[in-house]
Amino acid sequence: MILGSVIGQVWGAQRSAQLGPEKMLLVAVLGAPGADGERVASGRVVVALDDLGARIGETVTVTWGSGARAVLKAPENRKVLADAAIARIVDGSSAGEE
Amino acid sequence: MFLARVVGTVWSTVKWDKLEGLKLLLVRPYHLDELKGGGAPEGLHDGVVVADILGAGVGEDVVIAYGHSARVGIEPHLPKGTPPTRPIDAAVVAIVDSFQVESEEGAET
Repeated sequence: MILGSVIGQVWGAQRSAQLGPEKMLLVAVLGAPGADGERVASGRVVVALDDLGARIGETVTVTWGSGARAVLKAPENRKVLADAAIARIVDGSSAGEE
Repeated sequence: MFLARVVGTVWSTVKWDKLEGLKLLLVRPYHLDELKGGGAPEGLHDGVVVADILGAGVGEDVVIAYGHSARVGIEPHLPKGTPPTRPIDAAVVAIVDSFQVESEEGAET
């Protein structure tokens, strides 16, 4: 999984039928915390389906592959096309010594 | 998945026979700086070759899925009974109409 910050949303009417109806969110991947403890965006941006109702500005974890399909409780998970999904909306995280 | 701009097409004569007729596109993933209105950082111009059965064209923005999702995504294109192992690991799963980043309106296609 990665830790990321929700920065926006993508709309596309032409999508594969099995992708799923969930919202497509743009998530900026967050790197390791710097000296000041702040996590800085790495520059990489991923698109993740969201079933949890994450909003812009919130920190989330994104899970990949089968993990994403497990989040999107479709009846036939192996047929779901999404390879990334919001797994958690994060309240807080820490690194190193408190 | 990731958001990318279609920048070209790729074609080949010699290939795994069941992939005959499957369209390949060259796409370039968006960097965070571009989505926020700036330019792409120097040196970040890696392309990704993806399969496309939705009919995306050069200049359009698309959402790409990797791995198992890509292999399942191209299934409608393949002859019935094709084994699930196939040499594809990236495919277009949506053609983007618009996207929005924070409060700024993003590029539309």
